Amino acid sequence: MLRLLQRLEPITPDTPDDALVRRAQKGESAAFKALFERHVVAVRRFARDLLRDAQAADDATQETFTRAHVQLPKLTEAHRVKPWLLGIARNVAFEARRLHVHDELDDDAGVPDAVLPAPNPEAVLLDAELERQFADALTHLSPTRRAALLMRIDHGLSYDDIAAAFGWSIPTVKNEIHRARLALRVRLAPHLGAL
Amino acid sequence: MTHCGRVHQLEALVAGEVPEGLAYELRSHAEHCARCRHELKWLETERQLARRRAGRDEVEHLWREALPERRGLKPMTRGLLGLAAVLLLVLNVGRVAVWAHGDGALGTTTDDEWSLQSFDVMSRFEPPTGDAACSRLQPGLAGFHCGSVPASFIASR
Repeated sequence: MLRLLQRLEPITPDTPDDALVRRAQKGESAAFKALFERHVVAVRRFARDLLRDAQAADDATQETFTRAHVQLPKLTEAHRVKPWLLGIARNVAFEARRLHVHDELDDDAGVPDAVLPAPNPEAVLLDAELERQFADALTHLSPTRRAALLMRIDHGLSYDDIAAAFGWSIPTVKNEIHRARLALRVRLAPHLGAL
Repeated sequence: MTHCGRVHQLEALVAGEVPEGLAYELRSHAEHCARCRHELKWLETERQLARRRAGRDEVEHLWREALPERRGLKPMTRGLLGLAAVLLLVLNVGRVAVWAHGDGALGTTTDDEWSLQSFDVMSRFEPPTGDAACSRLQPGLAGFHCGSVPASFIASR
């Protein structure tokens, strides 16, 4: 009876992820659709950032949610559904590109640990061109490093979550993200110099 | 620019992972520390750029091809199955109707046998004369058969 009442409880934007996961695990399709709607934008953007192709990103997004639906009963930490989905998306994207998780970890060439001019964050908001430069700079990172950096600065994952998704230690995650940041800044600095 | 031990805390600050008191302390510190101020500007710039990309994707089309339809039947398949079900129902209703007015023997028949059985059913009523034949048929059967079978033929049986 309690289960029935739980299933009748309406799904709202405030329904937490872990509640949706538990309901979806019991077979409630509306709960899974709510999870899809809540995370599909992030998953799709993440896939597009890794694959750099809109159609491939669409395919990877669908494959991600297909796998998520199949593997949902195995998800024990229901509140960590977003890192879990992004981890699946990363695997799907890497499979699509026939890459491996540890590929291209040693792309440190051209990443000086130098002091760059400081940008003006407020002015960035007004510069549309800079957004394109940012996207372009991301493409110059290795897929692995790009994935780790975006999980952090775009999707707000904790170092713990990223470490779990990659199977890395936390120091490794911090090091990879630090190096990704340096490489990104080297490419962005010329466009931020006038700010 | 000298190294400052608090630089690494700034990343957590920008990510919103530090408590309010520490956040205030770090921002106050950054105002007086060139190294931290520099790092904070970069971190905030990255975050602004990342945020601006968010929320612009069009993803509505992805659900239509996602799981529920993939696991269930596609709309066209469902439509065809529905049509087939209606056709089966109509055929079976007609078959039962014929059986109900016949001898009750509803064996397996071919299309050709169906028409023969229909005529057998018609012959049971032995209409007396030509044009009045259809009027003698049971109401339910009159409309069913008289349109395709000449009344004179019925009368001749």
